[in-house]
Amino acid sequence: MKDAIGFAFLGIGAGGFIAMMAAGLVVAFKGSGVINFSHGAVAMYAAFTYNYLRLDGTIRLPLVDILPTHQANIPVKISLASGGPVDKWLAILISLLMSMLIGAGMHYLVFRPLRNAAPLGKVIGAIGVMLYLQGIALVNFGAENPQPEAILLPNTLFTNFLGFGKPLPGESFALAIVAIIVGAALWFNYKFTRFGLATRAAAGNEKGAVLLGYSPERLALSNWIIAALTAGLAGVLVGSVTGALNVVKFTTLIVPALGAALIGSLSSVPIAIAGGVGIGMLQTVVATWMSGQSWFPEWLQSGATDAIPLVIIVLVLFLRGKSLPVRGNIQEKRLPLSPYPKRIGWYVAVFVPLGAILAFGLPGDFIFAGLSGKWGFAFTTTLIGAMLMLSYVLLAGYVGQISMVQLSIAGVAAFFMARMTANGTPSPEDPFAVSGPGIAWPIAAILGIIVAVAVGIILGIPALRIRGVQLAVVTIAAAVSLQTLYFDNSKLTNLMAGSNAAVPSPTLFGIDIGSTGSAGLTDSPKFALFCVIVLALMCVMVSNLRRGSTGRRFLAVRANERAAASAGVDVPRTKLLAFGLASALAGMAGVMTAFQQQQISSANWVYFAGLVTLAFAYLGGITSVSGAVIGGVLTGSGIVAVFGAHQSEGLHSYTPVLGGVGMILTAILHPSGQSMLYQPIVQYFGNWLKRARGREWAGVGRRLGPFIVIGLAWGAIGINPWRTDDWSRPWMMALGAFLALFIRNLVILIRSGGHRELGSAEATQEVAA
Amino acid sequence: MAERVIDIKNLSTGYGGIPVVRGLNLHVNPGEVVALLGPNGAGKTTTLLTISGILQPVSGEVNVLGSSIVGERPEKVARRGLAHVAEDRSLFFDLTVQENLRLGLTPDRAKRAVAMENALNMFPALRPLISRRAGLLSGGEQQMLAMARGLASEPKVLLVDEMSLGLAPIIVERMLPIVREIADKTGAGVLMVEQHVGLALSVADRGYVMAHGELTMEGSAKELQANRALLEASYLGGGH
Repeated sequence: MKDAIGFAFLGIGAGGFIAMMAAGLVVAFKGSGVINFSHGAVAMYAAFTYNYLRLDGTIRLPLVDILPTHQANIPVKISLASGGPVDKWLAILISLLMSMLIGAGMHYLVFRPLRNAAPLGKVIGAIGVMLYLQGIALVNFGAENPQPEAILLPNTLFTNFLGFGKPLPGESFALAIVAIIVGAALWFNYKFTRFGLATRAAAGNEKGAVLLGYSPERLALSNWIIAALTAGLAGVLVGSVTGALNVVKFTTLIVPALGAALIGSLSSVPIAIAGGVGIGMLQTVVATWMSGQSWFPEWLQSGATDAIPLVIIVLVLFLRGKSLPVRGNIQEKRLPLSPYPKRIGWYVAVFVPLGAILAFGLPGDFIFAGLSGKWGFAFTTTLIGAMLMLSYVLLAGYVGQISMVQLSIAGVAAFFMARMTANGTPSPEDPFAVSGPGIAWPIAAILGIIVAVAVGIILGIPALRIRGVQLAVVTIAAAVSLQTLYFDNSKLTNLMAGSNAAVPSPTLFGIDIGSTGSAGLTDSPKFALFCVIVLALMCVMVSNLRRGSTGRRFLAVRANERAAASAGVDVPRTKLLAFGLASALAGMAGVMTAFQQQQISSANWVYFAGLVTLAFAYLGGITSVSGAVIGGVLTGSGIVAVFGAHQSEGLHSYTPVLGGVGMILTAILHPSGQSMLYQPIVQYFGNWLKRARGREWAGVGRRLGPFIVIGLAWGAIGINPWRTDDWSRPWMMALGAFLALFIRNLVILIRSGGHRELGSAEATQEVAA
Repeated sequence: MAERVIDIKNLSTGYGGIPVVRGLNLHVNPGEVVALLGPNGAGKTTTLLTISGILQPVSGEVNVLGSSIVGERPEKVARRGLAHVAEDRSLFFDLTVQENLRLGLTPDRAKRAVAMENALNMFPALRPLISRRAGLLSGGEQQMLAMARGLASEPKVLLVDEMSLGLAPIIVERMLPIVREIADKTGAGVLMVEQHVGLALSVADRGYVMAHGELTMEGSAKELQANRALLEASYLGGGH
């Protein structure tokens, strides 16, 4: 026992860090009702800033030089101390100022515009900030993983800390002390000052605070700055306690911090501090002492530490049975409406053949020979991405349950299927074959999906009592736990460390429909068609679900659980049904990913990739099937990403930055997602086609003809600002014409004040003509 | 006569640019209690929300304490010396009675203790509840707290919206005279929206009657009381 306590004290450094992060999360939540998933990224940026000030005396601002010229530049890098390292304390001060600057920026640019958004919109905003800061850090600091220097009590070592016989670095001890001091200061501030009182008041009743003369915006700004400051303080002072610095490091530590913050109901700083230190100590005890005990189950040895936050979060939220203080905003918007799907048959009749053409090309390879190479891979990635997005549409869009675990559930299906198909026979591609029953792929895939559904339903149980953003926190903790308890757990997967799980190539009636194409690349058109058909079936299923009575029950639960219950809807059953169905959709996506990749590892399903897929689903339009498809098109390594990277290699490194900015802008400007933006245009165009006669076509020819001619000529000459080496002439001309029309419409849109949809701008012109 | 604390000229106001209240003229003098009467949907609460800056007028002038509030943020209007006891009371349920009152206190540090004492003197029933959370108070106690919090800021203008909402008649009968007392003691101008016409006119100096967004009657409390028939007609929709 003495041993155990001794080991526990080894964790007070990490605990101190978690505690400070948790305190910052509490402050951000108090100030603006946002669970700040980007908190770790703020700490990371401050830590990198400190590190580079000490390395070469430069400050790198959290922005990129977007101007394409070399003459006019936006200043990013500021050099101090003529290239030498900056004094330690000055560096700390500058780093903290940097984090405060980021906090102010977050308030003004992201969360103030989002203050009345639906909770999911704020989550997307936070994920956007996280992506932005990580992307910026990659650009500004490179992919190096420097070892940070110890700052607090750097050369002290307590050889026998408190007499428990374990040595403790002075740094760890000091970090815990600082955490307690920070906690005490914050506690005093929120308990006794008028500012703290007003913050608590505004969190409870914003209108009341306004009527008494307090500006909620000023309060929110101050709280964001304080929250960011605690993040910066944690990130800088943690020093070498958590090891080498990298871009995602602190973001992965956000989960235990969220656990600690939730123990204090996201409102009590002292409890969050105590909880944070406690979690750090508990994790260390489990990792060092407990896992060495004979009674400790072997399969739990990997991942038990990371499961602790999940257990704590679920216990706290579930047992307490009282929800978090809900912010009384003057007006909080709901999720966008979920449109009623119409003309499903038509969509299938158009898009399945279109998908087949994209996969195989036109008959006889006339003009177009089908997507191949990286394009073929991007195409299937897009299709599979859309499958995963569908699970978000069903769960978050229809039933309003914010789940961040869908990607991990896809991983469960994939891993389980891989194990079921394994038969233990080594092959050249798979020298370390794992043992398994060697079941045929269709049955294994179904088994994988069944297991995914079971896991999904189990994870849905907390949703019966936990709602909204808190559920997001539970699911994110679940995603981390699945990763370490299952995907990384060699006891369960039987995989050699670092090796991947092999997946056999699927065949249907003797035809190989696996993803390996003729040239050995993963671009087989047959596999692409397989994906198209699966996606089409899934879309039809989700659309029909939305149209039927189940869909009405889903939307009723989303709108108001109590009202739904009083109208005779069995809310718990409906929720679990939604979790089960969404898990089946995600499981399908996982199985298809496995077939596409042919071998899978835990890296395919890391939890913050799951955050990003949720954000892309939101970007596409989380309440509609078409939104899922658009989300798939936008998804990482999908068609748009590959096209962008291909056309501008220089732009490639900015992809995460642009993704983050795009996410924030969509959340602010277009909360219903891209699909709602296109819908009126498509509708208008469809109606126009139906009634258009010769005169109308002639009118279009007159208006658009000149632009098309200019575009065609532009393409034919081939002077372009982008890469054109592998583009054939007809394609260049088509692209030129498209761009000419696009630019024309953009000009019309801007001249009309940006308010009018493209369709109506055209319509007014038509009426005038 | 001292300057009017509220002066509204030809005001049109409403939601999303669509006027609910049209062509309203109204004023309140210091130390005066003015009742704003009318049936449901007449635009009384909309008028109060516009005066405190939460809604922006569509057109017309709104002057509070001598200067226009058009385009001003509600918190700025409040800091001029306007207290608005809203229909929903806007209490901070998670904070104690004392904390609620502290938030209402005047920014002038020297006066705070006195202001708090005055507010509690006006509503002595709150004294034993001082460290109870506001969410645990009864409806009448919550209304007292809302009024006391408004008073604690030592306002020069007090807007009271439907103080009697959801309260037992006996409590209303006790609370309304306090409004009169506030105006007499502090010299604040009070504009109150009230459904209890008889009670309201018994404490008010003057009254305005609105229906369908327009002013249908105005006059001294005595005149209005004498004209009960006309007053009642305006409630039933035939006041023109």
